[in-house]
Amino acid sequence: MRFAHIADCHLGGWRDQKMRELSIQSFEKAISFIIDKNVDFLLLSGDLFNTSHPGIDILKIAVSNLKKLQKNNIPIYAIAGSHDFSPSGKTMLDVLEEAGLLFNIVKGEVKDNKLRLKFTTDRKTDAKIAGMLGKKGSLERNYYEDLDRENLESEKGFKIFMFHTAIEELKPKSLEKMSAEPISILPKGFDYYAGGHVHIIENRNINNYSNVVYPGPTYPNNFRELEELKQGSFSIFDNGKVESIMIPSKKVTSITINCDMKQAKQVEIEVLEKISNSELYNNIVLLRFKGKLVHSKVQDIDFNKIVKECYSKAAYFVMRNTSLLSDERFEDIRIDEDNVDNIEERLIDEHIEEFKHENELIRKEELLSLMKVLADNKIEGETNTDFESRLIKDIDRVLEKDNI
Amino acid sequence: MNKGQVISGSFGEIIIRQKNDENIEIGEMLVCDNPKLLLQVYDLSFGSQISQQNIELISGMRLEENTDFEFMDEKLRNYNIAYAKNLISLEKGNISKSLPKFFSIVRDIEKEDLKFLEKPKDSIFLGNLRSGSKKIEVPVYLDGKEVFSHHVLIPATTGRGKSNLTSCILFDSIDKNYVGHLVLDPHDEYFGRNEIGLKDHPSKDKVTYYTSNEPPVGGISLKINIEDLKPSHFNGVIDWSGPQKEALTAYYRAYNSKWIESIVLEKPLKIGFNEATLAVVRRRIMNLLDLDFDGNELFCNGIFDITAGKTTISNICNKLENSNTVIIDTSSFSGSLEILVGSMIANEIFKRYKKFKDKGEKKPIISIVLEEAPRVLGKEVLEKGSNIFSTIAREGRKFGVGLMAITQLPSLIPRQILANMNTKIILGIEMAPERLAIIESASQDLSKDNRNIASLDKGEAIITSNFSKFAMPVKIPYFNELVEKYNKEKEPVNDHKKSFVGVKI
Repeated sequence: MRFAHIADCHLGGWRDQKMRELSIQSFEKAISFIIDKNVDFLLLSGDLFNTSHPGIDILKIAVSNLKKLQKNNIPIYAIAGSHDFSPSGKTMLDVLEEAGLLFNIVKGEVKDNKLRLKFTTDRKTDAKIAGMLGKKGSLERNYYEDLDRENLESEKGFKIFMFHTAIEELKPKSLEKMSAEPISILPKGFDYYAGGHVHIIENRNINNYSNVVYPGPTYPNNFRELEELKQGSFSIFDNGKVESIMIPSKKVTSITINCDMKQAKQVEIEVLEKISNSELYNNIVLLRFKGKLVHSKVQDIDFNKIVKECYSKAAYFVMRNTSLLSDERFEDIRIDEDNVDNIEERLIDEHIEEFKHENELIRKEELLSLMKVLADNKIEGETNTDFESRLIKDIDRVLEKDNI
Repeated sequence: MNKGQVISGSFGEIIIRQKNDENIEIGEMLVCDNPKLLLQVYDLSFGSQISQQNIELISGMRLEENTDFEFMDEKLRNYNIAYAKNLISLEKGNISKSLPKFFSIVRDIEKEDLKFLEKPKDSIFLGNLRSGSKKIEVPVYLDGKEVFSHHVLIPATTGRGKSNLTSCILFDSIDKNYVGHLVLDPHDEYFGRNEIGLKDHPSKDKVTYYTSNEPPVGGISLKINIEDLKPSHFNGVIDWSGPQKEALTAYYRAYNSKWIESIVLEKPLKIGFNEATLAVVRRRIMNLLDLDFDGNELFCNGIFDITAGKTTISNICNKLENSNTVIIDTSSFSGSLEILVGSMIANEIFKRYKKFKDKGEKKPIISIVLEEAPRVLGKEVLEKGSNIFSTIAREGRKFGVGLMAITQLPSLIPRQILANMNTKIILGIEMAPERLAIIESASQDLSKDNRNIASLDKGEAIITSNFSKFAMPVKIPYFNELVEKYNKEKEPVNDHKKSFVGVKI
């Protein structure tokens, strides 16, 4: 059995026309590759579109690609994701299903207030496919709570469960705040768990759950994803082996400038120098500015000049991100976001090279521990001598690295 | 109902003659109305108007010669004596500083007498007031914010209801927004995987359960990313020698978050270490973390993982910050592993709460439930160096992080830490040295309560706290009954037809 698994295509997702085209091209390349691979069927784990009511041009592109698959006798089994499902329950998948282009496999019956999902069996392979849609704000959680698992778990044969939910155990650090559910909400004993919603490439076995797969988006959907993923991807299951396929696209060049303690002019010079040293031809250029400027404002950086410089080197598209950049005017606000510990840590980071004990560099943790010891107050009833000797003992312990 | 009469004694040792047809128990609370004082019985003895010599003779005649002598005016001549101490002045609701009127009558306590006991805003329910073995229909509430931030100690011998009490406290605080509990559960008993537990609370969404043993639906597989470990997390977990500590530091310095992997894969260090030292460090880390390797690849068999669990520690902390109860099933862990996991979470919580304090940000109190507390707070352990739990015991209250330490052996915990535990919920303790350790560090004077503590039956407790007006005898409810009662009180949910929009029915 060989099948492909794609998710999070977010067709129509980029506001800029050039990036939107790239996203569509990446989706089309994935479809062509899947056809070439001669798979038995395709799983689409939600968010085919970026909105529940995609524009006609986007719809047309989706239909034409789905038709290609249909012509090649590759059935598509899909679930709706949080983006292509409206709060009122409408999804364009229903229209595509009516047109005979795909199967929305989220179907079932309600018995004693419990949701009993039904399997869709693939005719060619006899693979049994069930799944759950994804909703905004992880509202599908309630559906899982009311799910009758017995019929799903006791079914025999090769089984696939499709879901569009973030799994707590697999969440990457960068998505720490994303709402997620434990893997235990999924029914057990399936052979393949076709995930979507989280834009990561992952294939894991956890406890009784084998092949829990997030194939990644068919194209990155924002600045951060471009930085991290660089390109789109999907998965192929080929007789038990799961392979992640990267979809070739324009090269991404990330340029990150640390602006801490620098003036706008310095930053400008630094970034222009980096640009002049980089090969940017036909590249997507990501410019990330972070840190805090001194004696100048964020607006003092001539971003237009920098962007123009990139285009003069024939970059395909240039994006800049200043969300982590600030200047002194925002000092008061920044203090609210930061704190003394962080400021101390940052200062230590900057000057760590200057601190030595017995000709050995002192580590940041040691310095922080020392500062903590020295900030200690005298305990009630403690004499000056006792206090002094306690401090000395604690300092000795820190410097002997007992505390690390 | 009259129970007796004050006949002599001194302040703190009031002697009461028991009325013949009444029964006074150790721990019983009595009220004398002139002035209105609350007394508590701490000892009982016999009293008689007949000399001991004559009593012994009469007994001998009955036993040896089968005579049927009776005492003349027995009710008047033979009686019980109760020794009581002042608890509180019922008129003013403050500490009593005077004796009851000589010869005054003492009576049973009534609900009306305890009107001064108020329910604080952020309350925690600890049971009903108890007089001897009798439950009084007066619920005991303390200020939960103060209680949890100033640490709680639950000392008791096995089988006296520690788990029941802890379950009741946790259950009552689930829907309270002022506290989040981290429960390190070595017996996997609090969540209620197969029986009634915290999962049966109407606000079960506020309970998160991490386990490494096949999580039930909604439970989370406990996976912690190996890169989250730092050398300081091992303080109080493994007793490293000096050179071993140096080696850990050197690896951390050289490889940062990849330091564990580097130790296992024997990556080189600039500083030279004895091979045997490195081998011991490697072996101990591999054993504790259940790691393996094949060539240049590291394998994780236990809860620590190379790729998964990157957000576990921060998720747990986020939940706690949102006043949720997080239960970590540590039943399949070694003691050291349990402490290591607890130490990682406690470190992160403490770090965050220090930052919140700097920013002036108000967050719910976090209370860490620690079973067998002397493992991390014991004198022997602390002599080898402090750990995060002892730091929390010393300074956690400043930042809103408290401990709920459970132990059979409070005497193993240093006096300074015991004194910092400002609320003690004392269940039955049979061993005298353990009772002594508690009595000496109690918030109220329990010097007369040695017998009272020894005679506490299952579910009976004495609460001594900086936040209670007197050491309160309480009857802890049975957890199952508490759950049942609580769920009955909540409005029944209409069994309306559920809708599954988006699913083709």
